[in-house]
Amino acid sequence: MAVRTYAKPASLSEAAALLAEHERAVIIGGGAYLRLGGRSFDVAVDLYDAGLDYVRETGDGLELGAMATYRMLETDPLTRAYAGGILAHAVERIVGVQMRNIVTVGGTIFGRYAFSNLTAALLALGADVVLHGAGRLSLAEFLARKPARGDILGSVILPREGGRAAWGDLTRTRNDFAVLNVAVVKRDDVSVAVGARPGMAQLCPAAAAAAAAGGDDAPGRAGAAAAAELEFGDDLRATADYRRRLCHVLVARAVKEVLS
Amino acid sequence: MTIRFELNGRAVSWEVTAGETLLAALRRHEVTSVKHGCDTASCGTCTVLLDGKPVPSCAVPAGRVDGHAVLTVEGVPAEARRLGELMAAEGADQCGFCSPGLVMSVVAMREDLDAPTDEEINAYLAGNLCRCSGYVSQTRAIRKYLEVTS
Repeated sequence: MAVRTYAKPASLSEAAALLAEHERAVIIGGGAYLRLGGRSFDVAVDLYDAGLDYVRETGDGLELGAMATYRMLETDPLTRAYAGGILAHAVERIVGVQMRNIVTVGGTIFGRYAFSNLTAALLALGADVVLHGAGRLSLAEFLARKPARGDILGSVILPREGGRAAWGDLTRTRNDFAVLNVAVVKRDDVSVAVGARPGMAQLCPAAAAAAAAGGDDAPGRAGAAAAAELEFGDDLRATADYRRRLCHVLVARAVKEVLS
Repeated sequence: MTIRFELNGRAVSWEVTAGETLLAALRRHEVTSVKHGCDTASCGTCTVLLDGKPVPSCAVPAGRVDGHAVLTVEGVPAEARRLGELMAAEGADQCGFCSPGLVMSVVAMREDLDAPTDEEINAYLAGNLCRCSGYVSQTRAIRKYLEVTS
């Protein structure tokens, strides 16, 4: 990366001041893709020492700091116990331990990576994001909104009750990105999210309604509904048609798991 | 910019550029056990321990380690020798380019996992690629290493 200055603020407010002061200052997140981005900026703002690498229970629910790493999601007792450990299942096969020690929750969400397993899992769990300054909004709203200058993601908050959750994905090799990923969460109602289509992870209301209706054929109907309500595309990992069929199967399996 | 950090147990102060990776800074300062492999954080040969955790030094900005501790193979000579001998005895060592990163991952794994199964070892080391061996002989050597050091 081409950078003129490197800054390690000790808090979110210090980071916000840097963004306000320098027009071409950027929060670098975990940094995993910095070299691949080919971007250049005046100030690289690294939140590594800003005290955001935490997983904690709050009055609201389970809070993941922006600099919490994938490895923390795998190993922290709180995330392992939450919703059957779906966050750990979603990330535990991504590349290797080294990569997962630097990839962060905040970097993933803020980067709006369509291939992300974590984003699909957080969507299904009904996560909120907390932006420094702009406040709290749902992850779905955040993903639909244009990135605003000065936004800094401080944390992600998950509802207190994890519920029953199921994760499903298919990868061409064990540690590759997913061809398609699916997260299903059942609390009072059901929530279904599908990502890597290859477009951005998205909630599937029709599939969720079919699952919530229950009955022996609920998994199959939910799978069919998800395949019908989403758009799929071609890329080097799979064709749109393959993904549509895969979506049907993975959603049906995950719904069956949470309803059983 | 100046970074001050602990390298293999010794306090150092280095001049680095704002965009430099930890891998580039280490090699420029003749810490050449750390190999430059894929440059996409996928192969694991540039693995070092940052505050005890294995990270791909090709994807860590040098500025990040200011105030922290970095450990490379140069800092664990006894472990490197022991694991190297066991790998050689099992026929697991061929070109050796992946070995420094693998040693660091195994050193971290020994701290992280208690009596790991072969499956847990393989999952932990999935980020260390070897293009000579088939991993079977390496796993044998690593298992022996864990037995003798635990």
